Formats: sequence, structure tokens, C-alpha cells
Amino acid sequence: MTRIVIADDEPHVLRVLKMSLEKEGYSVEVCANGRDAFELIQRAPPDVLITDIQMPLMDGEELCRNIQQSIPERKFLIFVLTSRTEIEHRQWSREISNLQFLEKPVSIRELSEKLARNFDSTAAD
Amino acid sequence: MQSNQRPGLIMIVAALLVMLAMGYLLFDYERNNRVELARGQGIDLVRLLGGMPFNQLVPATGQQSFLEVLKRGQSNADFAYGAIVDVGGQISSEVTRSGVIIPPATIAAEPANWLGQHIVAAATGDARFIESYGPVFQDGGHRGFVRLGYFEPEFGFGYGDVPFLATLMLPIFLLVPLFYLLMRREFKPLKQISERFGKLADPAGLSPVELQPTAELSDFMAQFSGYIEATQNRIEALNKQHEELQMSGKLLTYRNNRIDAILQKFPDAIMVIDEAGEVSYVNDKTHRLLGVEPGSILGKKIREWCNIPEIIPLLTFGDGKSAMQANQNTVDLRIHGEDVSSLQFNVYPLFIPNDDSRILGRLVVIRDVSENHLMRERQNEFISHISHELKTPLNVLSMYSESLLTEGADNEEYRIEAVNVIHDEVERLSNLINNLLAINQYELGGIVAQRDNVRMHEFLEDIFSGFARSKKYQNVEFDLDIPHEMSLVYIDKDLFRIAINNLLTNAIKYNRPGGRVSMSASESPDGIEIVVADEGYGIDQEDGQQVFNKFFRSTNENIRKQVGHGLGLSLAKQIVLMHHGEIDFTSEVDKGTRFFIRLEKMPSHIMDAAAS
Repeated sequence: MTRIVIADDEPHVLRVLKMSLEKEGYSVEVCANGRDAFELIQRAPPDVLITDIQMPLMDGEELCRNIQQSIPERKFLIFVLTSRTEIEHRQWSREISNLQFLEKPVSIRELSEKLARNFDSTAAD
Repeated sequence: MQSNQRPGLIMIVAALLVMLAMGYLLFDYERNNRVELARGQGIDLVRLLGGMPFNQLVPATGQQSFLEVLKRGQSNADFAYGAIVDVGGQISSEVTRSGVIIPPATIAAEPANWLGQHIVAAATGDARFIESYGPVFQDGGHRGFVRLGYFEPEFGFGYGDVPFLATLMLPIFLLVPLFYLLMRREFKPLKQISERFGKLADPAGLSPVELQPTAELSDFMAQFSGYIEATQNRIEALNKQHEELQMSGKLLTYRNNRIDAILQKFPDAIMVIDEAGEVSYVNDKTHRLLGVEPGSILGKKIREWCNIPEIIPLLTFGDGKSAMQANQNTVDLRIHGEDVSSLQFNVYPLFIPNDDSRILGRLVVIRDVSENHLMRERQNEFISHISHELKTPLNVLSMYSESLLTEGADNEEYRIEAVNVIHDEVERLSNLINNLLAINQYELGGIVAQRDNVRMHEFLEDIFSGFARSKKYQNVEFDLDIPHEMSLVYIDKDLFRIAINNLLTNAIKYNRPGGRVSMSASESPDGIEIVVADEGYGIDQEDGQQVFNKFFRSTNENIRKQVGHGLGLSLAKQIVLMHHGEIDFTSEVDKGTRFFIRLEKMPSHIMDAAAS
């Protein structure tokens, strides 16, 4: 089963995404900050990471950098939820492979389609 | 002593000296004459007498001595004595002037020395004699000597000389005053000139010399007076030129000072670099921006004083070129270990007046744009923050509404949850937008407090009950303690409602589950105090007063869990300050926080004056 980790400090977002994605057959784990997410990913890399940028303890940018540094052979996809669209606010992501931005407000359907293009949600890990 | 008497005195002294000199020379001449006479006469007579036989010169008894004839016929007043002595020196015959004793004398035995002269001292007294001596013979044999003595003349004069001297000196005495008077008369115009020269120090007193010249000085005086007149004209012309120069100098100094004062007040550092690449002007701001003493770099080339490699190419831009374009560059520097400054270097060519094809140097204007950079960064940060704060609830709204379309249809429980979340998020968005608008208005200076006399009890109770009645906060224990009788307070009700609202929202949001939120008010002669307290996580020392900074968010995890924008306390503080009040807090971690608002009770007319 495709495993997704979601990092966001907004509990409502975690709640809806977890519920919606699980319903589509994904295995979803949630973290309220970047640090918890990083620890979880280090222990067991997921197939997809969905992360917000502004989070306590470790923000999304730092989380991605840390992952890039500690797991250079990483293959899994990262979706970054962002409020800003300007290129200058996305420059940091150039150094990080397999990363896509999703602009807020995020459409669950659009996210599902993107995931579906990459994974068969019910496929075994 | 007046200076005009000095020549007279000098003349008298000089005349006396002349007279003394003349007297001395006269007496010296007289003495020499007498000595020569005594010597000449003496030796002549000795020769004459030596030619006579000895026995003729020595008279027999009862006969007159030949020497007696000599004495009586002697005209020389200096004659002292005459003697005939034998070979042994014994006097055989003698004649003397009265009172004179012939002194003893030795005559040499050698014939070659028999004739001669010598000076002999008198036997008594100080007198000396010029003695002439010669041999006397008898029958071809040497029988003795003849000795003739004359007084040696002394230097000086006697009373007898006074009439002669007086006669001699009288003309000199008479001539001295005569010459003096004549000289004074002749030199009177020169004295006038001297006085005029004396007045030259005071040009106002200068006028042509009025001449009363003697014939000899006439031409000279006329020319001299003309010269004085020309000099006076020249002095007047020079004075005029001097005044004009002084005036233009003052004007120039004033203009220079004014330009310098303007340039010194200029907020940017200004540097003028001449054709040779040397700094010819620099204002004081250079010290602040580049850390160099303006006085120490004047007249020096850039590379001689600039130790900041990054800016050397900017300052030397256009060095040695006869033409250049204006140039602008911005660099970030750390001067003397202080914060990084962003400096903008603007280099402009300075053209020769009326000739735009040649430059005589360049003007460098250095502007500190750190503040602009900081402002831009803050604006960026603000926009980033606001877009996050606005889009986060929007994101939740979007997701829930989208999920309702699928989940809500058959899940009643989820539908209720989603509606509640949507309601909360809309409220959150609304609060955020209200706070943002209020802050924006405040920062633009657009908020003017519309004050009224407000009854505190009713006002606070109304706000408080809004929270206490809300189903959303039904798990919170509310406690209100406001005295019924409180003075009217002169405040802007709407603004103050935002401030109290924000304090109460925080007290609820950061409270522990089931914790108490209380609001109380009290009055003292000086003013009133409103307290909003909770039993929540508290504010740790690290956060401290930063909680009042716009967009500040604590790093405390419990606090970060709650939705917040970092705007509520910042706005509350601004509103309280607008009312000349103060806001502060006391807090204990994990026990709770008490926020205080203190307002002074002021008569309404003073408040009005303060507000205006």
C-alpha cells in the first residue's frame, strides 16, 4: 500500500487529508511539525511526503533540505503546500529533487489525481 | 628729552670734544717744540763751549765765569743749569737757575761717547732735565766736560695759558649755537615731513605738506609733497580695493559656508574627486558610512586610504578618463564589525562649466539603503505571513467544503464537524481581516480615536458576556468582577473593544483545558485598571515583551498548536498607547498569565486636548 506522510500544523488540514486519502486506499501518517515528520521519515521513508511550509520546530523548507541531505538516494515524491506563488519564494527548492508545489487552497481532488498518476494507491509497498 | 633738542646737545658735546682735542694737540705741539729747542740749543752750546780752552771756561779767582755770560744771555726759559766738570766729574764751575741743584751724572769714559745727551733726574723733586754734554780740552789734552741742563717740558698748561685758550675757544663757542640755529631753520621742513610720516599710520590725517622751504629745499619739498599726495591717492585706491575684496571675500565665505552647511546636512555621504583622482571635498557622513575621518582623506588618492576592497572599483570608477557616464552600484558592507549596511554608490561626472565634453572630476554620492532593504524584507515577510494566515483558513474551508461534497452526504457526524470547522474558520478569517485592517489604518495614521465617556461596567460586561454565552467556549470557566459604580472613562469604545477582545481571545486560546478566564476592574484616585487573567501555559522569560511585537509567535509547542497571527497583542498595545494608557503582564509558566491595562482618569477636556 502506498504510504503517505503529511506534515502540517493545522489539525483540520491533517484531519481532512488523512480521511480523504485513506478513503482512496493510501496509508496515511500525520505529523504536526517538521521535526516529527523528519524523524518518522528517517525511520521509514514513505512513498510520498505532503508538507506545509510554515510549521513550528522545523519548517517545510528545512524539512526538505534535511531529507535531501540525509537521504540522498531518496526516490519518493514531495508535495509542498504553499501560500505564495512567486518564484523567489520557491528558489530554495531547486536543490531538491522530486518536489512539486501545491498552491493553497489545495483541491483534494487535484491532489488525488496527481497521486494517482504516480501510484496505484492499492499497490503493495 | 624731546627729540628736536637732541641735535643741539650733540653739537655742544661735539664742540667740547673738538676743543679738548684741539687743546691736547696744541699742548703736545708746544711741548715737542720746547724739547727740540732744548736739545738743539743744548748740543749747539756744548759744541761751542767745547771748542774753548778749559781754563777759559773755568775762571780764575775773582773773574766772571764764562758760564755766567751764558746764563745771562740765555733766552730759553727752560734753561736750568750749566757746569764745567773735570775728568773725574768734579764741578769746576757752574751756573744754575735759582733753586736748581746740578744732579750728579756719569759720563762714559770712551771718547766716542763724550758728546751726547741724556735725561737726568733732579737731585730733589720730580723734575727731570735734558742734559747735553761734551768734552773740553786744554793744550790738546782732555781736561773735562761741559754739562748744560734744560727742564724737560711737562704736559699741561698753567694759568698763564688761560687767556690764550679762551681766545682760541671763544669762536668755537660762538659758532656752535649759530650753526645750531641755522640748522634748525634749514631743517624745519624736514621736521614737518617727519611729523607727516608720523601721521602716515593714520591715513585719515594725511594731507599735502604745506611748504615754507628754504631755497635749497624747495625742489625737494615740492617733489616730496607730490609724492605724499600720490601715495595718499594710492592708499585710498588700495583701501577701496581692500574693502571690495573683503566684501566679496565675505560673500564668498558666506556662500561656501552655506553650501558646506547644506552638504553637511545632506543625509548621504558626498565625495568630490578631482581629475587627479584625489579627494577634494568630503562631508561628515562619510565617517558614518565608510568609517573614515573626512579630514584624513582630503587630498589623497582612493587607494591611499580606502581599505575596503569591494568599494575601490566604485570610487575609482572613471579615474583618469576624460569622459564617463553616471554609474550606480549597491554593495553590502560590514564597517568596523557593525551590522551589515547596504550602500548605494552613485558616481556622476562633473563637467567643466559651459563645456559638457570635458570633465574635471566626479561626484560620488553614497547612500545608506539598508533601511530600504530592511523595509523591503519586512514587507516581504509581512506579505508572506499574511498570505499564509489568510490561505491557511481558506485551505481548511476549501478542503472541508470539498470533502462535504463526498463525505457529507452519508455521514451526519462528519457533516456537523465540517460545518463547525467552517464556521470557526470563517470567524477566524473575519477576526484576522479586522485586526489587519485596524493595524493597517493605525500604521497609516488613519485611526483617530473617537472618544466618549464610557461606563466601564456596562462596556466590559457586554464584551465579556459575548464570550461567556458562546457555545464554543462552554468548557471554559468565566469569572467577571467589575464594580457597578465606576467613573466614566473617556475612551474610543470600538477600538477598546478590539483590545479587550484580543486579550480575552488569547486568555481562552492559551488556557489549559477547563481553566478559568477572569476579567476584573478596579478604580483608584489616579485611574482604573482592567485585568484579564487565565490559568494557561503562561509566557516564558524568553518570549517576554516580544509578545507585543507584530507577528511574534512563541516557540512554545503548546502555544504553537493554537491558531494565531501575532497581531492581537500588538494591536491591543497600540490601542492602549493611543489612549495614553499602559499595558503589561505578569506570568508564571504552566500557571497562567495576567494582563493589565491601566488608564489614567483625566478630565475630558484634557483628553480632548491630548488627542488633538
